[in-house]
Amino acid sequence: MTADTPDYEEIVTDVAIVGSGGAGLMCALHCHEADPGLDITVISKGAVGRSGCTRMVQGGFNAVLDPGDSVDAHFRDTLAGGKYLNDQDLAWTLVNDAPGVIRELETRVGCFFDRRPDGRIKQKAFAGQSFDRTVHRGDLTGIEIMSRLRDQMLRIAARELEDVRALDLVFDAAGRLAGLTCLEVQTGRFLLVRARVVVVATGGAATMYRIAAPAREKTGDGVAMCLRAGLPVRDMEMLQFHPTGLLTGRSRMTGAVLEEGLRGAGAHLYNARGERYMERYDPERMERSTRDVVSRASYTEIVEGRGTEAGGVFIDISHLGAEWVERTFKGMVERTRLFGGDLARRPVEVSPTAHFHMGGVLIDTDCRTDVPGLLVAGEDAGGVHGANRLGGNGVAESTVFGARAGDTAARLARERVHGDADPNAVGESFSRATAPLRSAGGELPYPLTAELKDLMWQSCGVVRRRDRLEDARERLAELADRAARLSVPGPVAFNPAWQESLDLVNQLTVARVIVESALARDETRGAHARSDFPDSGDDGDLHYIVATPAGEDVPRLTTRPVEYGRLRPQEAAS
Amino acid sequence: MTLLVRVARSDPGAPAEFRVETFHPMTVLDVLLAIQREHEPSLGFRFSCRVAMCGTCTIRVDGRSALACQTVLPEDATRLRLDPAAGFPVVRDLITDTTPFWEQWARITPYVVPADDAVGGEPAVIPPDSAEREAIDPALDCIQCGACFSSCGIAGQPRTFLGPAALNRALVLIQDSRDTATRERRELVAGADGVDRCHYIYGCTGSCPKGLDPARSIRRLRKGGRDDG
Repeated sequence: MTADTPDYEEIVTDVAIVGSGGAGLMCALHCHEADPGLDITVISKGAVGRSGCTRMVQGGFNAVLDPGDSVDAHFRDTLAGGKYLNDQDLAWTLVNDAPGVIRELETRVGCFFDRRPDGRIKQKAFAGQSFDRTVHRGDLTGIEIMSRLRDQMLRIAARELEDVRALDLVFDAAGRLAGLTCLEVQTGRFLLVRARVVVVATGGAATMYRIAAPAREKTGDGVAMCLRAGLPVRDMEMLQFHPTGLLTGRSRMTGAVLEEGLRGAGAHLYNARGERYMERYDPERMERSTRDVVSRASYTEIVEGRGTEAGGVFIDISHLGAEWVERTFKGMVERTRLFGGDLARRPVEVSPTAHFHMGGVLIDTDCRTDVPGLLVAGEDAGGVHGANRLGGNGVAESTVFGARAGDTAARLARERVHGDADPNAVGESFSRATAPLRSAGGELPYPLTAELKDLMWQSCGVVRRRDRLEDARERLAELADRAARLSVPGPVAFNPAWQESLDLVNQLTVARVIVESALARDETRGAHARSDFPDSGDDGDLHYIVATPAGEDVPRLTTRPVEYGRLRPQEAAS
Repeated sequence: MTLLVRVARSDPGAPAEFRVETFHPMTVLDVLLAIQREHEPSLGFRFSCRVAMCGTCTIRVDGRSALACQTVLPEDATRLRLDPAAGFPVVRDLITDTTPFWEQWARITPYVVPADDAVGGEPAVIPPDSAEREAIDPALDCIQCGACFSSCGIAGQPRTFLGPAALNRALVLIQDSRDTATRERRELVAGADGVDRCHYIYGCTGSCPKGLDPARSIRRLRKGGRDDG
C-alpha cells in the first residue's frame, strides 16, 4: 500500500464471481452444488439478478429436446450462423450441454417454460435454425430465468456484494492471481476481495453504440479488466446488430429489441416505399435469415435512401391477426403501445441496434484462461458464436458456460491458495478510480459517452470501411486522453457521474480493440461488414484475430487458423 | 415545451427544481437522464434495462408508485413531482433500500422445493390448459419492482406483513405441482403475517406495472388457493 492509498476493506472468499446475470448466478449455483462448503461471493455493479442482459432475454433458449432434432443439427446451425469462425470445441460444448441446463432450470431452479398442448416443453421457430428448438416463457423469457436464479441465491446464501463495481484483477509478487479490487457504489468505499478463484461474467459492451439494446451496466467492464491484466481476446470485430430495435426518437427506449420470434413467426420487413426488401438480399430465407444478413440489408436500405425519415424500416406482423399477435407476443405489443404504436395492428418502425459482442477473452471448454485461477464465462468470453450469434444461443451460452465455470471454480478452489495482492497494484487501482473526483476543471463524462456512441455508430457500425475506421482509431485515442482527465463533482456515495466516468474508460478500452480488429479483417464475414471488402474469404481457410494487450499501447494483433476439428465448412455444405 | 420538475433530494441544500426541455415521446426516465446530463450530474436514481424487465427504477411519480421507464409524459405536461418509492429507507435522492421487500420475499421460500428424485430428471408434463397452469399463469411475470409493496397501506408498517408480492409468489408456488413445501407456505400465509392482514385497499393491484393482480392472489389464498369465481 502506498502512502496515498485510500482506506479499504478486505474480504476473503474462496470464489469471487463478477457479474450477476445468467452466467454469474449459474456459476454461483453450480459452485455451491459442487462443494457446499465453499465461500462464494457474487459481485454485481447493479442489483443482483436484475442487471445485465439475461434478464432482458425475450425470445428464448436454444436446446435440443425433441427426438426429431439432434445436437449435430444444432451444432451445424451454430457454425453456419457463425460463418465458421467459431471455436468448434466451445460451440460443441454449448449444444451438448444446453438440453441438460434446460432440465436443470426446470427441475432444480424452478423455471417453468411454455408447454405444448400435451404438457411437454414447447419450442418455437427462430431465425437461422433448421428445427424449431427455442424454449421460452412467453416473449419475456429472461424474467423467468433470472427471477428464479435470483431466488436460488436466497437458498444457497452466497455473499452478495450488490452495487459493487469490480475495478482490477490483482496479483501477488510472483504474478499469481490474488483477487480483485472493487468500489462499493453506495458508499464510495474501496474493497480488496482476496479469492482463490475469480470468475469474470459481466457481459458485453454494446452500449457504446448510439442505437443499442443492452442494459445500462453493460460497459465492457469484464473484458476491459482482463485486457488490463494482459489477457488475450479474440473476434473483437464481431459485434452483433440485432435487426429490429425500436425507434422511439430521443427516448432512452430507442434500441430496445423487438424479439426474433416475430421474424420466426412470419413478420415481414418493409422499407419506406413499401417494398419487402429481403427479397433482394436473401430470397430463400427472407426475414428468417440470420441477424447479420438482415441487419446489413436494413442498414443498406436506410443509407441508400429507402428508409423512413427517422432512419428506420418497418416490421409488420399484423397480417397474422391482431388477436393472435396480442396473445403470442404480449410483451412486445405492450412495448410498442407505450409509445403510441401497435405491433398487433400496424407496422412498427425499427432499426438495427447494437446487441451482442461475439468477441471476448480466450477460454477453453472449462472456462479457463491463460491466467491460472481466472475463469471467464458468458458474453465476456469469445469463440462460441464465431462471426454471428444465433438468436436463442445467447442465454444458452450464459447458463451453459456459467454452470461449467461454477464446476471448474469449485474444483480449483480446493487446489489453490490465497495470494497476497501486490500493494502497489492495489493502490494504483484505487488511485485510478478516484482520479475524476480529485481533478478539477475537466469535462463531465456524459458528453464524452455521447461522442463515443456517435463515433462507433458512424465509423465502426453495421458496415465499415478503412478510412472511417482509421479516423475512429484517432478519435478514440483523443477520447481516451480526455477520459483520463475527467472531473466529477462529489459526493462519493452513489454518484452516477463518477460511475459513468469509470464505465467510459472501460468502454473506450474495448472500443479501441474493436476498431483495431475491424481494420485487420479485410473481408466481410458475419457481423463484420466492410464496404471496401464486400466479399468473404474462403470458409475453408479461416483465421481468427487475437489481440494481446501491450502495456499502454494499442494491443498487438495476431491471427490464428480456425481449427475445423469437428466439421469442415465444405462438409457442412454437402 | 418546458417541464418544471421537482425532485426529492436527500441533501436538503441540493437543487431540487429543474426546468427540462421536453421531447416526445419522453418517459420519466428520460426526464431524469436529462436533469442528470444538463443540470445535476450527481442526481441519484436507479435504472438498468429501461424496458420494464429489471424492476429497479420504481419511484413515485406525482405521488403514485411507477416504473420511471414505463411512465410516458402527457404531451401537455408542464409540472412533475418525483419522490423515492414509499415504504423503503432512502439511500440517496430517488434510490431506496428495498431490503424490507426482500426480507418478506425470502420468508415465503420463494423457490420451488423439488422432490429429491425430480432434480435433473425430465421436466414435468403439465398441459397449459391444466387447472394448475390456469391458476398460475396470470400471476407470473412479477419483476420484484416493489411497487405493490410500496403502495400497500399495511406492508410498510409494522414490517411483518408478508405483503402483496410475496403472497402472489406464494400462490404461484402453492399451485405448482412440482413443489413440496406447500404445507409450510400455507401455514405461513394463513398465520399472523399472512393474508388476514390485507385490508383490500387494492393499492397493489392499482400500481403493478405488469398488470398483475396481487389482491386477487390474496383472495385466492384465503380460499385455500381455489378460484374466487
